[in-house]
Amino acid sequence: MYRLGVAAIWVWRGTFGALFPTTCKYEPSCSHYAVDALRAKGLVRGSVLAGWRLLRCNPWSHGGFDPAPPRLGR
Amino acid sequence: MNGVLSFIVASPLTPLEHAARHVLNWLHFSVGLPWAWSIVALTVIVRMLLVPLTVKQIHSMQNLQRYAPQMKEIQKKYKQDKQKQNEELMKFYKDNQINPAASCLPMLVQLPVFIALYYSLRAFAKEPVSQHPGSLSFLHFIPSIADHTTSHWGGFVLLVIYVGSQMASTLFMATTVDKMQRYLFMFMPVVFVFVIARFPAGLVLYWVTTNLWTVGQGLITRRLVPKTAVPAVEKKSSRTPRSDDGDGGGNGAKRAPEPPKPQPTAVSAAPRKVRRKKKAGGRR
Repeated sequence: MYRLGVAAIWVWRGTFGALFPTTCKYEPSCSHYAVDALRAKGLVRGSVLAGWRLLRCNPWSHGGFDPAPPRLGR
Repeated sequence: MNGVLSFIVASPLTPLEHAARHVLNWLHFSVGLPWAWSIVALTVIVRMLLVPLTVKQIHSMQNLQRYAPQMKEIQKKYKQDKQKQNEELMKFYKDNQINPAASCLPMLVQLPVFIALYYSLRAFAKEPVSQHPGSLSFLHFIPSIADHTTSHWGGFVLLVIYVGSQMASTLFMATTVDKMQRYLFMFMPVVFVFVIARFPAGLVLYWVTTNLWTVGQGLITRRLVPKTAVPAVEKKSSRTPRSDDGDGGGNGAKRAPEPPKPQPTAVSAAPRKVRRKKKAGGRR
């Protein structure tokens, strides 16, 4: 199911992401983080995490190294 | 599948999308602008609302340039390991309270406007033309902004302007992206033009307007923010010639040939003062 979200991110990268080329202030970047979060936590929790990361990636935050939570053993 | 995807992407942005559509309607029905000019006005309003963020970006760029020598140092230290280099840079930003210019949220704000325009224009295309007599044309060269861009020769002109403006805006926006990526982004619109050609001409009009705004903003920003990163490299190379050789392969290669300006000494002296201030601040 999480592949649906990953596909959405690829669509974003190929369309709007390409049209607004900016560098993210976080490492890994927001879209990279979203893919990692979706893989680790599934579609729902991964999407929430990615959404929260997007909200944090605003001009008032300081950015930094912020990897997605690790995948738990399945 | 498509519905689910659009739900995931669009649902959190729906209120913004409705707001954009209301503003568009207000511009047409209350202000009395034709639809095409309403789109231009809506785009300008959105970009004007984002101006405070731009001012913030200018400040952070100035701040960033003050720390250029130290950052160059980090880049050199971790030249082999790009990820480690990024991590260290991010850590440096955090330690020194630097706010990097780019962030993802402002970029996302423009998405609902795009979606609102897309739905509005799709609705126009379905309605009989008699409901919008003459008001869907733009500057006499596009008969209807609701039609596919390639349905009239005017659309091709708009597409050419789009590619040019997109390339120019990439030039101004992608200031921190590395050279290779920059070229890739520059040629992205050439590929993307085949996709965008199937969109209604009004959407392309939106892109052109927002790109031209970005270019204008970039021109003003460049005047406000002096290029101070160059002098730092110049000064270092005069002290330690070896380190300059090391720079040649990296992103600084393009900057090195620029002639030294009278500002350098004044600017390169600034970081020391700032560093002391920061240290003093940290002790508190």
